[in-house]
Amino acid sequence: MKAERILSELTRGLPLRRAPAALELRVCRELERRAARPWWFRGFSQWPAGARASFVAICSAIIGVSIGDEAWTMLARTFSNVASAPLSWTHSTVAVLRSAYEVAALLMRVIPATWIYGGLTAGVALYMALFGLSAAAYRALYLQPSLAGDRQ
Amino acid sequence: MTFMRAYQDMVFSTAARLTGNDAHAEDIAQDVFLRAYEHFSQLRSSPTAGGWLKTVTTNLTLNYLTRYRKRWRLFSELKEHADEDSSGAPELEWEVPDTLLADLDADQRRELIDGALRQLPRHQRVAVVLYHFEELSYQDIAHKLHISLAKVKTDIRRARAALLALLAAGGLECE
Repeated sequence: MKAERILSELTRGLPLRRAPAALELRVCRELERRAARPWWFRGFSQWPAGARASFVAICSAIIGVSIGDEAWTMLARTFSNVASAPLSWTHSTVAVLRSAYEVAALLMRVIPATWIYGGLTAGVALYMALFGLSAAAYRALYLQPSLAGDRQ
Repeated sequence: MTFMRAYQDMVFSTAARLTGNDAHAEDIAQDVFLRAYEHFSQLRSSPTAGGWLKTVTTNLTLNYLTRYRKRWRLFSELKEHADEDSSGAPELEWEVPDTLLADLDADQRRELIDGALRQLPRHQRVAVVLYHFEELSYQDIAHKLHISLAKVKTDIRRARAALLALLAAGGLECE
């Protein structure tokens, strides 16, 4: 705990560093640049109230017109069909799963077990090799420059 | 701008200690004040403006530091876990006198400490700055950095040992 106590005493009441003189100017310039942008370049929340209301009204109108009466009817019919045929999709899902199982079982019978275990071992070995290569590349290409950057 | 003058040194110091890089700290400080400007009507007369700015600075700096290492996270954590292996090791007790840097004035001491902080690895520097300068608890640091409590303690313990060694060497040079 000695190290903690000494460091706490050293850091207590330490004066602040002076911010660069250019910081204030940078912030002012950025604020001026943002203020000079026309309203349509700003975020939606900063648009004038009239512009926001008009935008919402126009978008609603466009959606209404583009969908049209027939599309609304078709949408309603689709939803009613979906609601009237519940669980129909489960039958096809079960069929697909059953077929996949049958194919896998057939392959297991046809292909010798040695080949399967050999393939699995080769896959794991390739994965490990790729992992090791990536780790080595990380250490060689990334880690050293990063540490050097920290010490600037 | 009076508002900015009142707080810019605090914001810049916080960002600079965490990043260890003045140019990055200046970018972060600019971002902090641009955000403050968006809430200026509330901050202008708020007695907690300083705390708000400090919290935003810390969070923006941590975001900044993690943004660029995210893609390497898997490998970084492998390395970090390897570092944790000695987490049960006792704290190193350096032969450092209680009067370390006592003969230096505050500005010289600050310069020496900031210089030593810059030489620490990033994960150690961030943890020790959050503990000793931002006065966060181990638990809060672990929560903020999304790492385990054991790793926070290990990083801080090692950072302290390295810092004291650097300060002792630096103090001798100053004399």
